[in-house]
Amino acid sequence: MADLSIAVRQAGDVAVLLPAGFINAHTVREFEEALEGLVRDGRYTILLNCKNLNYISSAGLGAIMGLIETVREHRGDILLSDLQPNVFAIFDTLGFTQLYRVFNDEDQALAAVTPERKG
Amino acid sequence: MNVAPSMEPAEFRLVIPSQTRYLNLVTGLAKRASLVAGLDDATAAKVSIAVDEAVTNVILHAYHGEGEHSVELELRFTEQALEIHILHSGQGLRGDQIVLPDPKEYIKHPRKGGLGLLLMSRFMDEVRFKADEGSGRNECCLIKKLD
Repeated sequence: MADLSIAVRQAGDVAVLLPAGFINAHTVREFEEALEGLVRDGRYTILLNCKNLNYISSAGLGAIMGLIETVREHRGDILLSDLQPNVFAIFDTLGFTQLYRVFNDEDQALAAVTPERKG
Repeated sequence: MNVAPSMEPAEFRLVIPSQTRYLNLVTGLAKRASLVAGLDDATAAKVSIAVDEAVTNVILHAYHGEGEHSVELELRFTEQALEIHILHSGQGLRGDQIVLPDPKEYIKHPRKGGLGLLLMSRFMDEVRFKADEGSGRNECCLIKKLD
């Protein structure tokens, strides 16, 4: 099994990225390329659905940090959902839960950025 | 027949090439070792991340990404703690050279890099660096106490 696989789909104006496996120094380039590809295509609102992400090291956090300013300059954002406890612990320990909007699941995240979906 | 475990400290070593493709193997070992030592799942996951960060630092910074070197991991199980020693002969780092980023400043001024050491220090009870200029042998020691 590959250390990391990444699926991408579009949900309205939101690009949903689903990394599965491990994001570390070995796999981070693949993750970074997927994020950069979305930004190149002008898809500035990105949801990272982390339900199948086993862990992310600082290399992966750096990839997200490297693009956050760019997407926000274009009135977009990087959102997080479905974090497993150990992945949440990494974000929370570093205070990143204050920097990124974190949602319990994908529906909540999409509802937050597309209010008409509510109800 | 059950054999009572020895109360003597136990230790073993693993040597890997300085290549990031082996990170997953090493972090899996660190997680399993944590569980064997008696740590819970959540703590074991944190130990595995700390080991990932430490070994990544050795590969990318001490060895500058060169894959033909060796990284040695020594796991020591004592009654008080799980100790993971990461030894290498690349560029050394002493404890007094370590500057941890301030998370609050990091959030105000996001940038790449610098978070690995912070994760290691937050997830472990002790992180020690030793650089032996005489032998050229350097070490990062990660300690997780058993409550």
